[in-house]
Amino acid sequence: MLGEMVAVVGMSLLVGTAAVAADAGTILQVTGRIAGETVALEHAELQELPQIELETSTVVTDGTHKFTGFLMRDLMENLRADGDRVTAVALNDYAVDIPMADFYDYDVIVAYSMDDIPLGRDDKGPLWIVYPRDDHQELQDIRYDYRWVWQLSRLEVQ
Amino acid sequence: MTRLRTSVIGLLLPSVAVVVFAVLLTFSLSRMSEIENAMRVEAEQNMLWVLHQSEVAALRLAEITARADLDEAEPDDIALRFDILVSRIALLNDGPQRRFMDKLGYGDGLDRLNGEIQRIAPMVAGFAPGDGARLRAALEPFPQLLGRAANAAMIADWDEVGGRLETHRSQLRQIIASLAGIMVAGAVLTITLVQALRLSRQRNRMLRRARDFSELLISSSGEGILAVDRAGRCTLWNDAAAEMVGKSGEHAVGRFLAEVGGFFDTALVRQAVARAFTGETTQLGLQPLFRQDCDIPLYVDLRFFPMRNDGQIVGAILFMHDASDSHAAQQKDAQDRDRLEELVAERTRELDDALKRERSAADLYRNFAAMVSHQFRTPLAVADSALQRLIRRGPNAQPQEVAERASRARDAIAGLTRLVESTLDAARLDAGQIGARRVKCDLAEILRTVCHRQRAAAPGRRINVTQAEPGESFAFCDPAHAEQVLENLLSNADKYAAAGVDISVILHGDADRLFCDVHNAGSPVAEADRARLFQRNYRGANSAGIAGTGIGLFMARTLARMQGGDVTLQPGSDGMTFRMALPRIEVAQR
Repeated sequence: MLGEMVAVVGMSLLVGTAAVAADAGTILQVTGRIAGETVALEHAELQELPQIELETSTVVTDGTHKFTGFLMRDLMENLRADGDRVTAVALNDYAVDIPMADFYDYDVIVAYSMDDIPLGRDDKGPLWIVYPRDDHQELQDIRYDYRWVWQLSRLEVQ
Repeated sequence: MTRLRTSVIGLLLPSVAVVVFAVLLTFSLSRMSEIENAMRVEAEQNMLWVLHQSEVAALRLAEITARADLDEAEPDDIALRFDILVSRIALLNDGPQRRFMDKLGYGDGLDRLNGEIQRIAPMVAGFAPGDGARLRAALEPFPQLLGRAANAAMIADWDEVGGRLETHRSQLRQIIASLAGIMVAGAVLTITLVQALRLSRQRNRMLRRARDFSELLISSSGEGILAVDRAGRCTLWNDAAAEMVGKSGEHAVGRFLAEVGGFFDTALVRQAVARAFTGETTQLGLQPLFRQDCDIPLYVDLRFFPMRNDGQIVGAILFMHDASDSHAAQQKDAQDRDRLEELVAERTRELDDALKRERSAADLYRNFAAMVSHQFRTPLAVADSALQRLIRRGPNAQPQEVAERASRARDAIAGLTRLVESTLDAARLDAGQIGARRVKCDLAEILRTVCHRQRAAAPGRRINVTQAEPGESFAFCDPAHAEQVLENLLSNADKYAAAGVDISVILHGDADRLFCDVHNAGSPVAEADRARLFQRNYRGANSAGIAGTGIGLFMARTLARMQGGDVTLQPGSDGMTFRMALPRIEVAQR
């Protein structure tokens, strides 16, 4: 029931934004093998996806933090992404390839707030890919650490 | 000494090897664990990249302001680039990154940059074309400081990596040395093990040989050997034991000894086994062992010993020696002794008999003398007086008177002669000179002869002979003796019967014997005398005035008994009946 509703929201979200290219309110652009080729998503739209909370430590901060966001796989399913990897690109043009399997093997989220404070662009926002690092021993690895893309701005499904 | 040294080396060397093995293994494991722990890439080791990115962000902000001066960029673009720079500086100020910067000695520089950011922020917010130069001037310390910091980070990184590699190398070298040590210890252990195995195999072989040898000894032993465990079950049963008891080893081993044979359930054997369990040795000599289906026992000597293992008594062992020979020898000894005793007794008896005979001979002579003085005097006096009369009468004697007196004298002399003969018979009997030559003879025939003679001797007396069974009168006897007995009985009957009384003789018999009953109607003998009639030299009360020696009936009975018969006085008050009994020829031949 919830999944269906999410799907409906996703569809409306798709239809409503498909025509608009990079708008002023857009914070995430998704391109590649998805329904509609290019989708620009605003903050409000992303907040309509099921909200997930995740508590974990990070390699660039001390202690654990509570992250709030949505599951990457929810987004991918909403956009009917059909690829085996996703290239995540940051505002500073940092780009990294993430296997699609990561989103299904782990609850990888795209966080928009840390410790209930929205992430700003002048910090690591507006979006930060966060892995459940503390829940899985294998994620505590340098090869996963570089997939934590902050200031995420674009996803290319390949 | 050498053996002690060998055993010390044999024990010490592997122990040392085991200790070395364990120590080296622990050491190398701990070293490897250290290396494993050290093999993590800390994020702070990525500081070179962070610093570079920060520098790039600063340079791109400067670049965008220059382009904005040329109207090639929007204020939004400047804001984005500024935000990115801010985020980088914020990152550098965050926990791990800040600590690294402090360590590099760029903490103050970072603080200065923080201050610069605060100063630049309003310039970016209210950016107007032409502000670019001022902004760029404000940004100048950023690339400079971040570049130097990157430089220092690179050096620190390399120093750290170099140091770490060196540490790892030395640790690995230690591990390699440890592994070599482990290999040496392992080799020592392997060699020791192989040697121990070889030694053990050799000892096993020796043990097996020793066991085979003792098994051979046990199985080929002529003595029966068997063993029982503490529960009383048979554990060993050699061929000789099987032969003696008559039960095979398969039948005996594993069973209780009492089940194998009743012999082992006897109190003596059970006690001996129990004593062996307490450590005592027991010997039992010449025990009769009845084998299965055999009535003649085997005599065995038994020896019981406790069976020990490691000082504990685990059972008993029993040796059985076939002692039939010594038992037979013992038996023979006993028999010889018995025979010797018998011989001595026999000789003693013979000597006693001889003595008795000697005494009876002396008695005989004494009696003979008495009898002679008494019995011989009368006929001698009769003969003497008859002859005196004849002499006195001289020529006046009538021939008839002479004949009468002479025949009286002759009668007296004939009586004397009979007395002498019977006395001599008794003497011969005493001397053992009379024997019986027993043959088949017709008793009726003998009776006829004797009766004929008796009639001739005493013509005034009638003798009636009756034969109950004609033709069945064959006896197994000495005819001369039988004749003598009958003669004696008949003459007795004649002597003691009143004149004119008949004598009857009845010949009859039963299944085994022939009887000859001689009856006269004389005065019966008193009861007290009856038993004594057959004694030698006994003369009854009715014999007064009748010539006799008192030997006749004794002789008759003795002669009859010598031939397996008897002479008895039949009971009854009607006169006297003497019976001679003799065995039938059929009985003797049977």
